[in-house]
Amino acid sequence: MRNWRRLLFWFLSALWGLQVVWLAWYFAPEVQDVAWRLAQDRTGAAIRQEDSYYRWLLSLAAIIPPQASYVFLDNYQAGKEIEARYHLAPRRHTLLTPDVSPGFLFYTLCQEKASYLIIREGDKPWESADAVHNSAGFRLLPTPGPGLIFQVDHTRLAGKFYD
Amino acid sequence: MIDAALLLLRLLLGLGAVFLLGYGWVALLVPRLRDFRTLERLAFGFGIGATILTLWMLALTWLGQVFSLILILAPPLALTGAALLLKKLLPRRANGTVAQAFQPAAPPPPTPYTVWDWLFLGLLAALFLFAFLRAALYPMWAWDAIATWGCKGKIFYQSRGLDLTCIDAHNYYPNLLPLLLSYLYFCLGRVNDHLAQGLFPLWGALLLALLYSFLRRMGLNRTRALGVTAFFALNGTVFIVHLYIAYADLPLAYLALAGVGLLYLWFTAAAPRGSLALAACFFGGMAWCKYEGPPLAATVLLAAVLTLAWLRPPDLKARFLGLGIPLLGLALGLLPWRLFAALRHLEMGADHLQQLYPHQLLAGCSYLAAALADPFFFGFLWPALALALILSGRALWKSPLLFLVLFVAGNLLAILLAYGLAPTSAEEFPSYVRATLDRLLLHITPVAALIVGKGLKDLQGRPEE
Repeated sequence: MRNWRRLLFWFLSALWGLQVVWLAWYFAPEVQDVAWRLAQDRTGAAIRQEDSYYRWLLSLAAIIPPQASYVFLDNYQAGKEIEARYHLAPRRHTLLTPDVSPGFLFYTLCQEKASYLIIREGDKPWESADAVHNSAGFRLLPTPGPGLIFQVDHTRLAGKFYD
Repeated sequence: MIDAALLLLRLLLGLGAVFLLGYGWVALLVPRLRDFRTLERLAFGFGIGATILTLWMLALTWLGQVFSLILILAPPLALTGAALLLKKLLPRRANGTVAQAFQPAAPPPPTPYTVWDWLFLGLLAALFLFAFLRAALYPMWAWDAIATWGCKGKIFYQSRGLDLTCIDAHNYYPNLLPLLLSYLYFCLGRVNDHLAQGLFPLWGALLLALLYSFLRRMGLNRTRALGVTAFFALNGTVFIVHLYIAYADLPLAYLALAGVGLLYLWFTAAAPRGSLALAACFFGGMAWCKYEGPPLAATVLLAAVLTLAWLRPPDLKARFLGLGIPLLGLALGLLPWRLFAALRHLEMGADHLQQLYPHQLLAGCSYLAAALADPFFFGFLWPALALALILSGRALWKSPLLFLVLFVAGNLLAILLAYGLAPTSAEEFPSYVRATLDRLLLHITPVAALIVGKGLKDLQGRPEE
């Protein structure tokens, strides 16, 4: 090996050594958390139970039958809708954004024959709030948590056609 | 405690069955199993086993059968066993000229492990201890894991079939990973997504085993091969994070490395017999693993064709024909799902083929350059690759190394082109790149490590010409 090549090799190796030290520092908080959880025996499903949103979804799963459909009102970017879809599967899931008009919301509920409407209370107000509260087709269910769930009687909704 | 131990045992037995199935297929596809080291057989076997098993699950859905553990496992294992028995009973044909293509070198006498060997092994052991605990003790949480791969795996288990009626989550994506996860749930007897995530550090370990094996076959000694393997694994955060999030990118990187590595050995006449047939399985696996798989496999084949056309080896025609084997594998991995999707009227994603946005292409160049140079993503691996290429000099144009370089360069270009075609708004584009670039680079980074390994070998003397 020529001298300058050898020097280059050792220079790169030294940089890599520093990189390994940096990686150890970067992942240290996660390593600490793993060790703490192992020591406390708080692993697996117990970690999910720490999340209030997950606990709320569990209470929704107890209400919504597995073969039922629901419409979920939230921003996809918030990442909460995918959690709901995951934990509520195999219930059929349709996502709509909070700024959806009452007309389109009612139309979708009818089309999907959705029995439930779930609204996560996020940073945006939902456009159809008044229409839903004033309609006879919705019944608010008492499940405290970071959102609302309505039982939907889509036969009583005026929304068979949307233009 | 006993329940947890039993669950772990069921997971290990389930993974063991995948290894067994794949090992059987390796034994079927290669004329002489002992040409491959045990580590290679295991590393190849798992990928092939996972591909065969999940394609069988697709066939079961096609046949209208409800999934059960017996139905998933028994027929492919029995058929493989019967085929192996038949192979053993049939008289062997004369090997003729094919046998001369590869003569395995006599195994070198065992050498004692050096301090460096122990250091590299220790670093890798520490990494995998962390990765396994991080994967298997925490529930599935990463975005694509719960939005796509894990969600489908859970639904396939609950519905006892490949049922996509209750979700709309890129339903046209291939299903190797969701079906494998659902198979593990069948083994566990329930949905246990944290334990099933133990699959991913295993896949990472197999990727490293392949990388090490290829480096050894390229002529690096144990210490250097281990060094390059550790250099790849412990460089930047992307590979490490993918060891414990349930994404399909790590399996795709493994499959791509296997396919490319085997073809490279075939180019250098260092491939044991049967390597092309094995490569065909990995090409099929790529197509069945992820939506980006078929284009990735196509770039491998394109790089191989260009390399052959440039180098013009004496057996050019036979070599070109030989590439038909991995091409066949690609078709066998691609077509079943495409046909299934067409018959079930699943909407295929085609939104990336509209028009070219030049400003995105230019922005993509700067993002790509930053990702390759920023140690946060892949450490110093890509700068090391650049150095290896500079040091290889003219040998690059006269050796099969060209194949690896064309594959990597072709994919970098493909990534840029994909960003140029992506129909995103100006505000969305940076976050779109941030969410995808590191994963796309992960698919090709193990091959980049092979080039670094070749460069390290050449440091010992003049590059081969």
